[in-house]
Amino acid sequence: MAITISGPSRPGSPPPVGRATRSLAAIRELAGARELTANLVRRDLKVRHRGTFLGMLWSLTTPLLVVGLYYFVFKLLFKTSPATDVARPDHHAIPFAVYFYAGLTLWNLFASSILTSATSVTSSGYLLNKVYFPRAILPLSTVLSSLVTFGFEVCVLLVLTLAVVGLPSLQLLWVPVIVLIVVALSFGLAMLVSAVNVHLRDLAHFLAVLVQLWFWGTPIIYSMGFVAKRESLLTLLRLNPLTGVVVGFRNVVVLNHAPDIKLLAYDAACAVVALAVGASVFGRFQRTFSEIV
Amino acid sequence: MADIAITCAGVWKSYRIYHQRSHTLKEKVLSRRNMFEDFWALKGVDLEVPSGSTMGIIGANGSGKSTLLKTMARILTPNKGWVEVNGTVSPLLELGTGFHPELTGRENVALAGSLLGHTRRDMEKKYDGIVEFAGIENFMDIPVKNYSTGMYTRLAFAVAISVDPEILLIDEVLSVGDESFQMRCHQRIAELRAEGRTIVLVSHSLETIRALCKRAVWIESGVVREAGLSHDVVGAYLGGVHKRMTQPRERESLPENRYGSGEAEITGVQFLDADGDEVPSFCTGQSLTVRVGYRASGPIEDATCGIAVFRADNHTYVFGQSTQGSKIKLNLAEAGTIDMTLPSMPLLKGQYLVTISLERAEVKEIFDLHDREYSFVVLDNPGLPMGGGLIHVPTTWTISGSPVRA
Repeated sequence: MAITISGPSRPGSPPPVGRATRSLAAIRELAGARELTANLVRRDLKVRHRGTFLGMLWSLTTPLLVVGLYYFVFKLLFKTSPATDVARPDHHAIPFAVYFYAGLTLWNLFASSILTSATSVTSSGYLLNKVYFPRAILPLSTVLSSLVTFGFEVCVLLVLTLAVVGLPSLQLLWVPVIVLIVVALSFGLAMLVSAVNVHLRDLAHFLAVLVQLWFWGTPIIYSMGFVAKRESLLTLLRLNPLTGVVVGFRNVVVLNHAPDIKLLAYDAACAVVALAVGASVFGRFQRTFSEIV
Repeated sequence: MADIAITCAGVWKSYRIYHQRSHTLKEKVLSRRNMFEDFWALKGVDLEVPSGSTMGIIGANGSGKSTLLKTMARILTPNKGWVEVNGTVSPLLELGTGFHPELTGRENVALAGSLLGHTRRDMEKKYDGIVEFAGIENFMDIPVKNYSTGMYTRLAFAVAISVDPEILLIDEVLSVGDESFQMRCHQRIAELRAEGRTIVLVSHSLETIRALCKRAVWIESGVVREAGLSHDVVGAYLGGVHKRMTQPRERESLPENRYGSGEAEITGVQFLDADGDEVPSFCTGQSLTVRVGYRASGPIEDATCGIAVFRADNHTYVFGQSTQGSKIKLNLAEAGTIDMTLPSMPLLKGQYLVTISLERAEVKEIFDLHDREYSFVVLDNPGLPMGGGLIHVPTTWTISGSPVRA
């Protein structure tokens, strides 16, 4: 296997390689480094919780505490539920907490991927300078460790649904599709923000605010029906590439409804665009990572 | 495997030296442009490293040695030109690459192994050897942040020398750790070299380069000043004349340190180990054979061959012997070799220069004399007691005494 590291081509250099071949090679390289990726994911998860008393349980405790907080605010203080279209075909009652938790797990997968990946390159200077590996592993491994945490949260969600609401339906088969769309979207944006953050460190701070806004702009704590009468808000929600997956995820896991295919397709298209833009920006920036970081 | 392991073709690499790096938006907006200038660390380096060879890179600080090594390792991308690498590469640029303080020794071994390009299966096979070498079996399951510096270094070192890629790139890793580490490292490199791996080594220690590398390049201000056999390159770098000669030269163009009538000529000198293999370095206590090749214009009776050994650092005359002094009658044929063997070579660590002479025994007529033209390197032998001075002398100690009454 010959690896050529080349600058701009010059006479006598190996023939220039086409864009398609290059992306294919990049993907193959990323796949070839899966053991390193797995090890980095393992490191992320272990390091995050090492030394804490609850350990891995923290990744479950935090979202449950958040649910408790919002339950307190909406059900006990405001005494109104922002989730209106919560009926199941089998007419089982759905507690607001479960409804909210379902959307929150998927949101956390996205939000923690983006937030932790923003600094994934800048915090790895000690590696970038000492050893070569496909640089995209850095944002990829943060997305994957968020995915592992998400896996635990989903297990809790399924147990809760079974215990409090009732049996799920075959609609559950949509879950892998929905998760794949979110992971692709997250990885695309993760590549973008991790690369840009190398040159512009403000981004990590800005993202923290943006993600907060984005949370409220996504129907997680409220349902689509809650804003049904406000046409402009509804349009905004439909443009949000997370609306389809969050609503869809909640539908298939808790409500036993089919997801909105149109919204899902839109989200998938957004994910593809994010991957393309992210990979292109990351690819362009990565050659100088080891010098700047 | 291809014949050429690494090809550098016209490699240029610049760094931006920022007078004030603006990382934040405010700085980017307020200062209209970044204040920086380009510093060219490599200016068109052309280089080929043959497969299975050991190549040393020498040069002053800031000459671009490490930059060159990093472009070979793909850590840096050249601005111009290209680098082609045939084979799997492990860079050893520091000890403990990728070690995370919160992870246990065991976890760090797996992580560092995959960073150096090993599969998990490889690392499982090597794991016992690594732990054994580091000698910290009981500590493998505690975080490395709780290790002592010595334990940490030993583990990092054990991981580093466990690598066996097709191409190994080493930057000064050898210079840390104590003598026994370095010895172990040199041994490992010798093993890898014997297996036909390609090794590129950056070091400030010319002795190390000469001992471990067959070939060397001398980089100065980003360009290749000299490339070739490490002996010659190191010699050129030192501005010295300790060249190794394997071919007879024209008598007219003799350097100053060679003289004689030329009736018989020294055609080459080799330093051989116990197996009769030519090696650049020896350990104290090992067998060393000096083989002198000669040719003569006709058979010469009553000749003598003298060999003298000097320390390279201060030219101390260590010892000298001759066939005549040893009461051996030397009759030179038209061509042949003369071997002098030190079954247990007592010299301590250092570089040594060797003078060879061919003379007529009785009348002091010199046929050919090469003054301090050849050199070999002696490394510490971890199996022998530590000691100072010039040579190792086998000793026994007897301790006696009785308590002193007050």
